[in-house]
Amino acid sequence: MKNKKTGVIFFPAFDWAISPTHPEREERLLYTRDQIFEEGLLDMTEIEEFPPKLATIHDIARIHFCIPRVQSQVTEAHMIAAGAALSLGDSIIRGEIKNGFALVRPPGHHAMRVVHGNRGFCNINNEAVLVEYLRRRYGIKRVAVVDSDVHHGDGTQEIFYHDPDVLFISLHQDGRTIFPGTGFTHELGGPGAYARTINIPLPPGMTDRTFHYVADNLVLPILKDFKPDFIINSAGQDNHYTDPLGNMKFTARGYAEFTRKLNPHMAVLEGGYAIETALPYINMSILMALAGISYKNVREPDLNSANLNETPEKFAQVQKMVEDLLNIWERRDKADIEKIFGSGKYYQRKKHIYYDTDYIEEEQFEKVRFCGSCPGYIVIESTANKGYGDPASVLCISIPIDACQNCQGEAYMWYEQGMRDNKQYNFVKLQDKSTDTCLSYDRNNRQEWKSEGPGPEV
Amino acid sequence: MYIGLDVGGTFTDAVLLEKGQVSAWTKVPTRRELLTSLLEAFDNIMAGVGAEMVDRVVLSTTMITNLIAEKKYDPVGLVLIPGPGLDHDCYKYSAETHILDGAIDYRGREIAPLDHRQVEEALARINSMKLKKVAVVGKFSSRNNKHEMEVFEKIRRDSPDWHVEVGHKVAGQLNYPRRIMSTLLTCATREKYQYFTRSVLSALESRGINCPVYILKADGGTMPLETSLATPVETIFSGPAASILGVQALIPPGETAVVVDIGGTTSDLALILSGQPLLSSKGACIDGQMTHVRALAVKSVPIGGDSVVERVGKEIVILTERIGPPYCMGGPMPTPTDALKVLRLTRLGDSRKAWEAMQMLGNPLGIEAWEVAARITMLVTGMITCEINNMFRNWEQEPAYRVWEVLQKRKIRPNTVVGVGGAASGFLTQIAAALDCYPVIPPYARVANAIGAAVARPTLQVSLRADTEQGIYSIQEEGCQGAIKDRHFSEEKAMDLATEWLWRRAEKYGLKDGLGEVEVIRKEVYNMVRDWVTSGRLIDVAVQTRRGILHYIGTGVATSEK
Repeated sequence: MKNKKTGVIFFPAFDWAISPTHPEREERLLYTRDQIFEEGLLDMTEIEEFPPKLATIHDIARIHFCIPRVQSQVTEAHMIAAGAALSLGDSIIRGEIKNGFALVRPPGHHAMRVVHGNRGFCNINNEAVLVEYLRRRYGIKRVAVVDSDVHHGDGTQEIFYHDPDVLFISLHQDGRTIFPGTGFTHELGGPGAYARTINIPLPPGMTDRTFHYVADNLVLPILKDFKPDFIINSAGQDNHYTDPLGNMKFTARGYAEFTRKLNPHMAVLEGGYAIETALPYINMSILMALAGISYKNVREPDLNSANLNETPEKFAQVQKMVEDLLNIWERRDKADIEKIFGSGKYYQRKKHIYYDTDYIEEEQFEKVRFCGSCPGYIVIESTANKGYGDPASVLCISIPIDACQNCQGEAYMWYEQGMRDNKQYNFVKLQDKSTDTCLSYDRNNRQEWKSEGPGPEV
Repeated sequence: MYIGLDVGGTFTDAVLLEKGQVSAWTKVPTRRELLTSLLEAFDNIMAGVGAEMVDRVVLSTTMITNLIAEKKYDPVGLVLIPGPGLDHDCYKYSAETHILDGAIDYRGREIAPLDHRQVEEALARINSMKLKKVAVVGKFSSRNNKHEMEVFEKIRRDSPDWHVEVGHKVAGQLNYPRRIMSTLLTCATREKYQYFTRSVLSALESRGINCPVYILKADGGTMPLETSLATPVETIFSGPAASILGVQALIPPGETAVVVDIGGTTSDLALILSGQPLLSSKGACIDGQMTHVRALAVKSVPIGGDSVVERVGKEIVILTERIGPPYCMGGPMPTPTDALKVLRLTRLGDSRKAWEAMQMLGNPLGIEAWEVAARITMLVTGMITCEINNMFRNWEQEPAYRVWEVLQKRKIRPNTVVGVGGAASGFLTQIAAALDCYPVIPPYARVANAIGAAVARPTLQVSLRADTEQGIYSIQEEGCQGAIKDRHFSEEKAMDLATEWLWRRAEKYGLKDGLGEVEVIRKEVYNMVRDWVTSGRLIDVAVQTRRGILHYIGTGVATSEK
């Protein structure tokens, strides 16, 4: 482990933007490139740069229900960003590198299981695509995703909400003050994955001190308990004190130290829109921290620690929250699931999802099969209103990788019934992760597509 | 008529080209007194030809490479202005190094001013060590040279006899450690390089040749000998570049080929992709450290005709060292050349001694001599083909930062393997067979390097970066910075300005017949959006003269451009 390098895939997508003045535009990683290139980091023996590769349609379909099809929701830039994470994942699992940094755009952590369009600048959830790929291809069992973006990683949370083998921890600015408005402490995962989702909403204006208090007293102890085989950091950088969208006061040094403590297998760039004042310095220091290169001389030009203060009241509030969450975590196996989630054949909930970039209103009705012998399959009925045309109505069925035979059989019956019931749904889709098969039925064209992944690597 | 001259460590080669045909060539030993070798080479090829018939002379040399490898350069004082970022302990060089406060950011804004007391102290210390050569290099100095120039001016005032090099003039690309190395080596080798150029010029003068004289750069382009005095490191690796251009001239245009140059102790490998030699994506690596010197991609494998072959247990292994000449030529140890002799793949050496060498290795193992020879050639072929495949793989693995670059990644494989250099012929057939290629040993393969020098033409680039918000622009290759007064400075105007600078450079590089076709390498515009309003634009354009050579040998015709 000691002599292995840190792999980096730098894909700034200098020819891709959501729109010319959108924060997610060509210029975003320009100064980061300048800084990293000028420092000569990529020449250092601790670091190796790899070229990006494209993810396949099936890699995306394994995790997302794209409406109507994967090809209509992703551009090549998305396939490259997701492909970068997969390609670094390959090198890490094969032991060629010790860890990796997917320094890529476009970002992904707001993309949910069902994708009708772009929300929070994201179409495809790069981390989720990676998790499913690693599990399928290499038989990785337990994965932890730690999200340090200022915005709640609602997409990642939603995708793994019922998955007991994926621990999702997000620390972010309180949802009452920022997009997407979720990520509260009571969002703890579904009945089969209770406390596998942990949210730490921080009051605006908190500093590195709080960042590290949460890391030391909550994130690291939980990870130690959970013993993941693979740790991913959704390395959003908009907690920085200069970020135009967030209101936090973290520094590049704070991010570097967090990276060192977390010691993730892979960091994936998420948000961060202070493209001049924060990104060059944070990206550089994360890369240095991963590679074990001293970052003590990295500092923002305008850094004045005296101005970065937080109120003791707010800090006490965070301390209390950390204590409560740790309590929940420690007693997770004793929790009365029936009391929290009710009983019956299914656990079900209604969701309203807003796509801020594409102005889409989606209504979802989600059912999870309560099953004693596996995490249970998920059925989602989704209707998206784009403000024009008829709303698209979709039925999506997802079978977990370790599904029992009974659940698998029931789930296929849902799919077939959905196809027969041809008035109700425009599209019927099924992901069978246990066999790595994806099915998709288009009612209007009476056409069915099927894709199968390559067999797992032995 | 063109003269190509390659001054190597062992031999000096020269050719005389007339209308794309080799009309004379020679190979003479490189002597300690350089002038003697040069005169001998000239006299051999110029017999019966008037000096006034020569239109130009192009040199290539391993002189600077050897100077650096043998650490025979002068001591230099190094003044660095790195600012925040990488830990300052990382800047370790074999030079008296002083690190000053002060910092510039990626857009060329001053973050922290220079501390003039520190400057004075550093210079006093350098003075006390009796150093008269100083390299001054700042991080992001190519975006703003203010700090480098302040130190430069101070030295010019206080110690006008010192030789000072500033980083932004030597290397304008991003990458501070490479810029430091390039600047340091430029400073260190300049004086020694002058000795070389003086020898060449006096040799030419004494034979009455007074046409323009050029030297080959590592990237296969030429520059006037005069101009090269300012940037001697550019000529490092001009030897290998000359061989590659020679092969390019000796094979049909547009071919994808591997160039295999097997020498005594090392083999140099290079790629010609669709007729163009592959440039290294990183700068030339000198003495284990990267520089900004633009160079053709050459992979050196430590194996050659004189490498020592030994038996280790039941294995036969090839060592990376050379102890002497091959056994069949009176050397002490068996070598790959002996194996070739046994297999009748070389004319060199004494056949009986070669058999003896193979028997020495084979007898303890109970293997016959010819089988030992076959094993050795297989080992050599295996090592070289493995490296060739790696080179192709590395080329495919080069990073890409734009969507279109990722989408257009290609996989191509060569169809010919071209052998040059002494021991190449013996191994070539097998290397080609392993790669599923045709083996080619072109005519004049022995002097391919001198031919490469003779047909080289200038390669000139200009990279312009304009920041309209700050109203400044810089030209990477010239280390120059200017102001933009035009409030409507656009992409088109940036292109015009870049082309204008390319003209200026062309003049400086002796390209009198015009630029020919100007190629656009890069044209990018980034809107700078601040608070949702476009506040300015970053325009990044790069243009170059078309790469290529003057003649394909044997076809008798010059390429369309001059």
